[in-house]
Amino acid sequence: MIAVALDESTEEVRGYTEGITYPVLIDRDRVITELYAISNVPTVVWIEADGTIARPNAAEPGTDMFVDFTGVSATPHMDAVRAWVHTGVIPDDGATSVEDLNPAEVQARLAFRLALHHRRADNPVRAEHWFDKAVKLAPLDFTIRRAAMPLRGDDPFGASFFELWEEWQSAGRPFHGVARG
Amino acid sequence: MAILQVLVDSGVYEIDGMINDDVVSVSPAALQESIGWELKPEGLCRGDMCVPVTDTGGIVHGDRLDLVAAARLTGSETLIDHDASVIAISVPSPMRRQTLVGRQAANFTLPDLDGELHSLAEFAGRRRLLVAFATW
Repeated sequence: MIAVALDESTEEVRGYTEGITYPVLIDRDRVITELYAISNVPTVVWIEADGTIARPNAAEPGTDMFVDFTGVSATPHMDAVRAWVHTGVIPDDGATSVEDLNPAEVQARLAFRLALHHRRADNPVRAEHWFDKAVKLAPLDFTIRRAAMPLRGDDPFGASFFELWEEWQSAGRPFHGVARG
Repeated sequence: MAILQVLVDSGVYEIDGMINDDVVSVSPAALQESIGWELKPEGLCRGDMCVPVTDTGGIVHGDRLDLVAAARLTGSETLIDHDASVIAISVPSPMRRQTLVGRQAANFTLPDLDGELHSLAEFAGRRRLLVAFATW
């Protein structure tokens, strides 16, 4: 298992990794959201020993902490992962093809990157300009809109999040990967 | 000439250049330093890989090259912050298609929480579960 945090602060990530023995990497520039078309977290990818993808992007929680809210339990996925690791068996949805990022979603990632750059250079006004552009380009992408919330002084577990959640539900829960529910 | 900052997957590069609307003129050396591609007789090349350049007029302006046109030719998108002289360049789309269509997991190199770099490829030879998560 390789965990990659799509976060800005190493110290914040460290708060969640106590006792974890597998590698935890930090992707401050969100490179893997481009390479794998990741649009929400947690997203898991099953990768064979030779680098072939056995099962592409899927939203799978690590725990049942939010099961009442999301309706997705961690147990079936963890059982399926164990079966795959031991016997190589891949579920039918492993064959799902992941839709490529559209041009606006690529531009949103670039705008987000510019925002991070200005935020790191202590230029909050320029940062806000680009965060706003990024969110307008990809309003239902959680790695853009929700990820920007704490960086723009907004609460990622507050009203703005529930607003996004409602919009995302109404839009048919778009996700780059294995569809859920 | 001014100092431009170029944001790519491997980091931030400061190079000499000039931005005019959607053209970013840089020296051949600055192009290679920032996006890793070099203009050769066979095309734009990085390592063993070369992309043929059919219309050099789109990329070559005198002794300068257009970073935006070169990036586009290699499958990257760009976004220019004109006020701050910063250019963000996406990863080449063929790398993402290799993952999504070719179903070959794209390699990446990222630091762990102590700053030590690791690659996905480092863990090859056994089944791997890649988990993208976040604190938000």
